[in-house]
Order: sequence, then structure tokens, then C-alpha cells
Amino acid sequence: MDKWEVQLRRGCLELAILASLWPGRLYGLEILRLLEQDSDLVITEGTVYPLLSRLKAEGLLDSEWVEAEAGHPRKYYRLTPVGRRRVAAMGRIWSRFSASLNRLLSRVLKEEK
Amino acid sequence: MLQPNDPAQKIELYLRQVRSGLRSLPEPQVADILQELRSHILERAQSGGTLSDTVTDATLQALGRPLEVASLYVAENVMARAESSRTPWTVLRGVFLWAMLSLKGFLVLTVCLIGYLFGAAFFIAALAKPFNPHAVGLWTTGPDSYSLALGMTDAARHGRELLGWFLIPIGCSLGGGTILLTTHFGLFCIRRFQRARVTLGLGGSHE
Repeated sequence: MDKWEVQLRRGCLELAILASLWPGRLYGLEILRLLEQDSDLVITEGTVYPLLSRLKAEGLLDSEWVEAEAGHPRKYYRLTPVGRRRVAAMGRIWSRFSASLNRLLSRVLKEEK
Repeated sequence: MLQPNDPAQKIELYLRQVRSGLRSLPEPQVADILQELRSHILERAQSGGTLSDTVTDATLQALGRPLEVASLYVAENVMARAESSRTPWTVLRGVFLWAMLSLKGFLVLTVCLIGYLFGAAFFIAALAKPFNPHAVGLWTTGPDSYSLALGMTDAARHGRELLGWFLIPIGCSLGGGTILLTTHFGLFCIRRFQRARVTLGLGGSHE
């Protein structure tokens, strides 16, 4: 994979994880499945858990262990109020940014065809 | 090393290897990390209630190499600590964790330690000046010697003091400046290190 593409995906991963938790609490594997399904952020699974632990240390996420029927407990994450404000702000920046970039790129992509 | 055939043993071996890379983190955090990874692996690898051999292999492979996963945890931890308060103490602790992972971290730790020691020495000299004005100062040991001694020294007997009471403002600003500069240097290095680690981890499965 192109180095630039790796950097880009990495930069978006934090936002994608925070956004996936917007509707409510999820555990790690659910977040992974959601990311695989809703976005083509192909990610090494092992990067998501350390990132979750940092987002928690930064106070953007909260976590709790919940006993599951499967026999092993699951660690659920949810956005803290600070995390909700942060993801909303990141979302606004992202959508402004991508809209202007798309306008610029539409010419490039049209002519390339 | 002998590779176990039993999926449950494979999982335990994997987790032991992750644990060996997490030695620099506090034990409750390590236990929490391992429990979360175990829970992930079991849920992915269990099909129909039993552990399947091939699915276990695929699950572990998708997670990434155990030491790589462990170093990502340490890297994210270093980052979170350093960013949480940006004080010399948290930066130093972050760099200390990093130093246990790599030679680069060790070099950055050395530079930071020297920086903080210099900063502290300037401060201490400035603070001690009012209490012992005749002994504390910046001394030259003689006209034909360029060696300088900062702080309390017996050079007072045969040397010359250069700064006088100016030692207090100069010591405070030089001390503060050195400490601030060292903290920024540490943070800058930590951010670069963290970016490199995570990029490496992301690229891992596509190699």
C-alpha cells in the first residue's frame, strides 16, 4: 500500500472509531465489524484496541466490562460528553474539508476518464 | 520454539508473547489488555461453540504479530501520558517507557535527562544564592583556566565569581527555558515515534 494512503487511513481511523460509537455503546469486535462493513477502512485488527485504550486515557471514551452469554466478558466502550463534542467538531471539519477537496478533484477525475 | 497444535494453547502462547512486550505498563492495565484480546480472539475463533484450528490461526494473524501489538499499546500509552498534561514529569515518564522499546527512545531519554538536569541546576543555583551568597555563583577557577563551576564550590577560595546577584534572574530564566525546551523536544519526538509505530502497524497486514 502507498505510504500516503497508509497515513491517510491512520488519520481517519480515530474519527471512524469515535463516529461508530455515536449511537451507543459497542465492544471492540462490534466496532471492527462496523468499520469493515460501513467503510473501506481496511485495518489491521491489532491497531484498533491500542487506539481504543488511548482514546479512553484521553477521556474521550469510557469503558465497562459486561458478562456475556458467550462465557467471556466483553469490554464495552461509549463516548464521554467530551468525546461527543470532539467527534461532532471533527465531523464538521471533515465534511467542510472533504467537500472542498472533492470540488477540486472532480476536474482531475473527469479529465482522467 | 515448539509450536502448539491445540488452538487454546496457541491463544495462550500468543497472549504470553503480548504480555512480554507490555512489561513497562502497570500490571492492572496489562491484565485488562490481555482480557480484552482474549475475549476478541475467543469470540472470533469460536464457531459453533468450539475452537476451530484454522479460524484460530486466521484470527491471530489478523490481529498482527504479538510484539507489534504490544508495542502499539506502549506507543499509544506514551502518547496519552505525554499529551494528558505536558509537564516535564509526564513527558519524562513517556520517554522512559519508549526507551525500554528502542535505542532511539533511549537516546531521546538521555537528551531529556541531560536537559532537565541542566535546567534544574540553574534553578537550584538561583534559589540557593540568597542563602549562601558567598559560596553560590558561577565561578572561574583562575585567570589561566577557563573552567566554569556553577553552584556551591570551594572555588570560592581562589576563584572569581562572574555573575553576582544577576545569577538569580539569569538562573531562573535559563533554568525555565532549558526545561521548557526539553519538554517540547520530548513531546516532538514522542509524536514522531507514535506516528511511525501506528503507520507500521496499519501497513502490517498488507505486506
